[in-house]
Formats: sequence, C-alpha cells, structure tokens
Amino acid sequence: MSVRKFCTLCMQNASQSALKSAKKFYSSSTKLTNTEVRKKRNALFEEEKQRQRAAYVKRVEKILVNYKGQPKDVKLLMNKGISTPYNCAMHINEFLMKRSIVALVNGELWDIHRPLEEPCDIEFRHMLDQDPKLPNQVFWRTGAFILGHVMETAFKDNVYVELCSFPPIPVEKGCFVYDVDLKLPDWKPSQRELTSLSMVGGELWDKNWDFERLEVDASLALKMFEDNRFKREQIPDIAQKHKQKRVVLYRMGEHIDITSGPLIANTSQLYRFQVAQIHHIKSRRFGPLQRVQGIAMPSALHMHWWSWDLLCKRASKPMDYLLPDYFISPSKEPTQQKEDNVRAAVEN
Amino acid sequence: MLKFSVKRRPRKLKGVWTGCGSGPSERIKYLRHWVGKLIRDERIEGREDRMNETRGYAEQLISLAIQNGENHRPTMEMATKWFKEKEMTYKLFKVLVPRYENYQTSFTRIQRLPIEYPGNPYYNVVLELKGNPYPSIFPEQRDKAGLLNNILIEAAKKDFYNEHRQSQVVRDSMERDIVGLERDTLQVRMDKSGSGKVENVKTGSTDGTDVDKL
Repeated sequence: MSVRKFCTLCMQNASQSALKSAKKFYSSSTKLTNTEVRKKRNALFEEEKQRQRAAYVKRVEKILVNYKGQPKDVKLLMNKGISTPYNCAMHINEFLMKRSIVALVNGELWDIHRPLEEPCDIEFRHMLDQDPKLPNQVFWRTGAFILGHVMETAFKDNVYVELCSFPPIPVEKGCFVYDVDLKLPDWKPSQRELTSLSMVGGELWDKNWDFERLEVDASLALKMFEDNRFKREQIPDIAQKHKQKRVVLYRMGEHIDITSGPLIANTSQLYRFQVAQIHHIKSRRFGPLQRVQGIAMPSALHMHWWSWDLLCKRASKPMDYLLPDYFISPSKEPTQQKEDNVRAAVEN
Repeated sequence: MLKFSVKRRPRKLKGVWTGCGSGPSERIKYLRHWVGKLIRDERIEGREDRMNETRGYAEQLISLAIQNGENHRPTMEMATKWFKEKEMTYKLFKVLVPRYENYQTSFTRIQRLPIEYPGNPYYNVVLELKGNPYPSIFPEQRDKAGLLNNILIEAAKKDFYNEHRQSQVVRDSMERDIVGLERDTLQVRMDKSGSGKVENVKTGSTDGTDVDKL
C-alpha cells in the first residue's frame, strides 16, 4: 500500500471528525493551507540564503583548519564563510563524510553543513564513538524536528496544523516530543494512522536531504512564521537570548523550523522512525494541544524488531516531562510546577 | 582453599601418552612435566581433561608456597621434587608468590579453544597463569553502554522492572489480606457423610458452598 493511501485513510478519519465539529482549518490570520505556507516560507528562506551568500562571493578569504582524528591529523586551507566541516571531510576521507553526525569546532558543537568562520581545530563525532553522548543528544533533537515535518506534511490541506514547540527531552526518557495544534480535539489515532504517519518519517532515509542552517533577523523570522500563532509569540523571546538578536532556522527538504542546537548532517543517517502516540494535553499559555511522541534509530545502529516494538510501546506512554507551561517565565504567570521540571527549566 | 570450581562427578583418569608405561607412577611423571611447563611458559595448551588435572596441582603448589614460605622445609622439598628444573622452584618462591600473595581469585585461568575439524574428540584448552606478560586471549571489548540503542533498552528494562516490582508488591499485599481473612474466619466443617461445608467461625453461618464441588 502506498503512503498516499495510508495518509488518505488518516485523513478520512480526521476530515470526518473535522466536519463533525465544523471548524475552519485554515490559518486564522491569512487563510492559507499548510502547503501554501510551506512554499511561502521556502521562498523567503531561499531568498535570504542567496542574499547572505552573495555577501561572501565578492572576496574569498582563506582560513587554516586543523583536523585531529582518524585516519590522521591534517591541516587544510578552507574558504571562510563558505567551507563547511563536510567540505573538510571531503578532503580527508569518505567515511568521515558519511558517518559524521556533528562536528566540534574549537570545542563548540557545530553543524556539519554550517560554514566555518575562523581558523579552528575541527573534530568529527559519530553515533558509534567511544563517548556518543553528544551525537545522541543531537540525534534526539533531530527526531523532534522531523516530527514537526511529519505533522506538517502528512495531513491533507483541509487540516491546518500549527506547530507549537519541542522541549529538550533526554534520551533516557525513551521518546522525543512535539507539541502541535491539530484542531482535532476528539481524534484518537488508530494504529494504522500512526503507522502511516511513521512512514512519512521512514521515507526520509532514501531522500538524502541535508540539514541546512541559516541565521536570520527576528523581523524576517516573524514574516516567515506569521501564519503560526505560537511561533509568532516565541520568536521575540528566542531573538532576545541570541547574541546578535537573530533567530536560527533549520531547513530539511522543504520543512523549516526554529531550533537553537545542531542537528544531524543528512537524513540518510536516520533509518527507523516511529510516531508512537498522540496524547491530548492542556496548556494555560497555548490552550489545548496535542503532544506527538516519537522514537527513531540511526542507520549506524541495528535493532531487532522485537526490541524496537518494546521501545515503541514505552514511547507511547504519556510523557509529562517538560509540558508547554513549564517554560513560562515566573514574571508572566505563576504556574503549579513539579520539582524536577523546575530544576530542568533552571538548568536549561 | 580452592579458588576455582571443581565438578562433582569423579574425574575419569584417562591413560597418559602411550609407550611411556601406565599407572599412577606414569601419571605423576606427566603431571610433573605439565606443571613445570606451566610455571615456565605461563601459558600452555593441551587436552581439556589433562589440563584440568594439572590446574589443581599447580594451584595447590602455589597456595602452599604462599602459606608456608620458602623456609618451611616440607614445602621446599615438595617444590624441588615437583619440578625437573631448579629454576622453576626459584621462580615459584621468588616470582609467583609475591605476584599471587593478595589474590582473592584463582591463580590460573582455563579457556576452551575452538574445535578444528576433524581433530581429536577432546576439547583443546588453554591453561594460563594470571598476570602473564602475553597479550590477553580475549580482545579488549569496548564499553558500548553509551550507544543510543543500549541506553534506550536499559531505560526500558528499568521501567519494566520498577512496574513489575510495584505490581508484585500490590499483589502480595492483596494476597496477604485475602489469605489472612480466609484463615481466620472461614473453616471447613465435615459432616458424618463425609462432605464438607465452608463455615464462618465467628458467625457460625454457612453460605452453602460444598467443598467437594469447589
């Protein structure tokens, strides 16, 4: 059965419940569908990317990059603002290109496809490292990012999906999470529907999409996300935290989202993807939301279907860690907070 | 004190090399040979049954040497008689005793080798003294606990056992309540005909349950 048919089944259920509740499923402000919003965002992203590139093309400066690691330490002369750690790997060895999840540039976590700014020491990290703690975190963050892609693309145009946020849930909890507003309060997804959603993520391995990073001004970010009422609220806060008051965007294929941390290099490094469950949650700040829980496995690691099933069952249990309300600053609204979530927010 | 496991069934004392004679005296000869070789080379290969035999003797020699020391006459005599070469007695008291003085575990290690077909019908085995200078038989395994799949599975295991333990506690407490109740208040009263009826001791009433029909 093709993915389209599965999605259609998914949509039949969703559209039926939608018709029952008789709500509008377009963006409240501009009355666009998800596909149109995506096209608009991509056009703005592409424009900004070309504009930023043009600033460097006029004069190319060289920087000395020191690579330390397997197969041997090398010194490379790369282009400032254009060359990425991936380009460095291209000069060294093929396995570095394929297996590297994230790079360490002067000790700082750096995306594989993010241009290098200054002379630096570079190291690569992969899923089978001696200490894979950092790649694991990066992978888990990417999983949540991809959940956003799945939710925005899987549904038919009569359902308008608004992505809210994804909290930094640790790997040990067993799932990553995206809080979404589907506007389907009565929907309980069946196993078939969850499978069809998972297939959207499962297809990514074949597509070999890179994860591109772009820093934009807060005003442009607001323009791009004007159709999403949650992101509109969040962008000023996010820009405040950044040094140059900019917002960091990531693009995978046609999906664009806001996140601070590095993501993996390429979707070919992700193999198994499962949307485990969708729970309904209530938030004081954002209203009723749906918490989409998922789990993923990289292509570097193998797992038997039985253990995978076990992990999926664990991931489908309701995850109450870092609910949307716990990120409200104390001055705005006092909320009832669990002790461990307070600690988590403070640590973050 | 024996620091390694010995099987309960009696050891089948197979014959030693053919052409060397037979019986206990020959057995002692080959044991002397192999124990001496072990002390000299610190790692030897051979048939499983023979290496198992020599292991016990080698360990006993070393533990006696540790217990009594070289100034103890009977131990020194035994050591000189066991080894064909004088250097081995020296090695036992001067090298092996300080090495194994504070060991809590056995001094030797035995490991089966892979079968090479057709070969002989017995397992070949490596018998080695611990702390020998050779590279280890097993390659050093790296710690894979940090890998993503292992982290997820360990966390899932922990969750499962915590739940299991909680539900077990609930089940135990429920059982205790029910069993306690039945033991105190309910009793089976036997009629002359031989059929029993469940009776509440306190109230004396029966609810009609026939024990035979339970």
